[in-house]
Amino acid sequence: MEDLARRVAAYLAHRMPQASNIEVSRVSRIHGGASRETFRLHASWEEGGAKVERPLILRRDPVASLIETERDLEYNAYRAFHPTGLPVPEPLYLETDLSWLDRPFFVMEQIEGCQAGSPFNAEPYGNFAEKIGRQFWTHLGHIAAADPHGIGFAANMDPIAPEECWKRELEKWEKVIDEDELEPQPVARAAIRWLKRNPPSPAEKISVVHGDYRTGNFLFDAEGNIRAILDWEMCHLGDPLEDVAWAVDPLWAHERPERPGGMIARDEAIRLWEEASGLKADPVRLRWWEIFNSLKGLAIWISAGKEYQTGANRDPVLAFSSWYCTDVHNRVLARRLAELSKEGRA
Amino acid sequence: MKPDVGTVMQGFFGTLLGDIAPHLNAEYSMGNVGIMGMMMFMTAEEYDRAADIRVAENAEMRSLFSHAAALVTDDALKKKLAAAASEKEGSLRVTALNARNAALAALLIELQTHVEASDASWARNLEARIWDHLVAATERRKLPLPSFG
Repeated sequence: MEDLARRVAAYLAHRMPQASNIEVSRVSRIHGGASRETFRLHASWEEGGAKVERPLILRRDPVASLIETERDLEYNAYRAFHPTGLPVPEPLYLETDLSWLDRPFFVMEQIEGCQAGSPFNAEPYGNFAEKIGRQFWTHLGHIAAADPHGIGFAANMDPIAPEECWKRELEKWEKVIDEDELEPQPVARAAIRWLKRNPPSPAEKISVVHGDYRTGNFLFDAEGNIRAILDWEMCHLGDPLEDVAWAVDPLWAHERPERPGGMIARDEAIRLWEEASGLKADPVRLRWWEIFNSLKGLAIWISAGKEYQTGANRDPVLAFSSWYCTDVHNRVLARRLAELSKEGRA
Repeated sequence: MKPDVGTVMQGFFGTLLGDIAPHLNAEYSMGNVGIMGMMMFMTAEEYDRAADIRVAENAEMRSLFSHAAALVTDDALKKKLAAAASEKEGSLRVTALNARNAALAALLIELQTHVEASDASWARNLEARIWDHLVAATERRKLPLPSFG
């Protein structure tokens, strides 16, 4: 870690020519976030005769990851939403020059004194479940309501028509399964066929889609206030119901669909989202996105398994995702698709 | 007597989380030890059942194929189903069972795709039977997750 501290200090000196005596200390890698190497660190320097102290987060591309994404997507999302009042860390520097830290990275504000709930805990938020749940769904509504062009999110992104959202996402994740499956996947293939046979109605509007909005991907403080929505690696333009469906996925918080993510009741969650977004959660379209998201989950876990099996990345969280999450999503999809098959044949 | 694998894995899980993790200073290392401990807990179950659930799955698929071979109209698929249905389980090593499971699963995908395209009553019944198998198979493979209260 000493070498990393020295190199980050050199980088900060490059970005802040007005600063002197830059020191980086307390570098510690954070667990999870297998799509990026994430480090907590403390930077201090002198500027204008005053001593400045700033806790920072460094997100560096790994050699191979759980989710192959471009780091500028995530950085761009922080940059777009930070001025809007949505709780996200302030992004500071994005760097693609490999000479600094061998791989691309970005630096952002560290939100101190907070924790993230575990998606594999039945009660990730304890007594704060109601309070956090109300904020969680309202913030998601605000993300859906945001104008992607107005906040600068849509710049340099491929446009998408409301009727094409489903197709682009399905093609993307089907390709991941095609390329990464280590053995045939009957449930995933049946899901893909069902999704193609039953396309959803067009999106009510094109919104920012976080892409991984769920239990575990936000920080809350000791009073139960959400302070930072994180992990925007999979953000894109699309149907806002995609995020709603991912957030209610049964994987998060022990397959309890009536209280998604271990927070508030599903009906209340949807009501809060509709109120904050000004949109309607059409139940038929939402069901399509729920099936899709369980498939997307499978694709991610299948990809994680391949990374681990081939030795491209030996982070234990990849092996865990491949074992546990694949089984959950196979089970969830098999049950739902079996019911839909019966309904379709009735 | 020797302690069985399940007991050893569960014991290691307890040692990792109770004795080793508290002495680690690095957050990333502690997280990894937690994940590895959970996977040892799962391995305890998987070691005991792995061959059993694969043999059961493979037998179910062969039975399905035997039934389907008499129903499907596509000659090439009918031959493949009949051939797979008549195969016998060989080695019970998990790697060997996995290889046969993968081959049978590939044929199951082909059969299910074929069945979904038909409106015949035999297709409706066969589709329901395939889903019964997939629901049972995925349920059988459910991995235990330790509770941390």
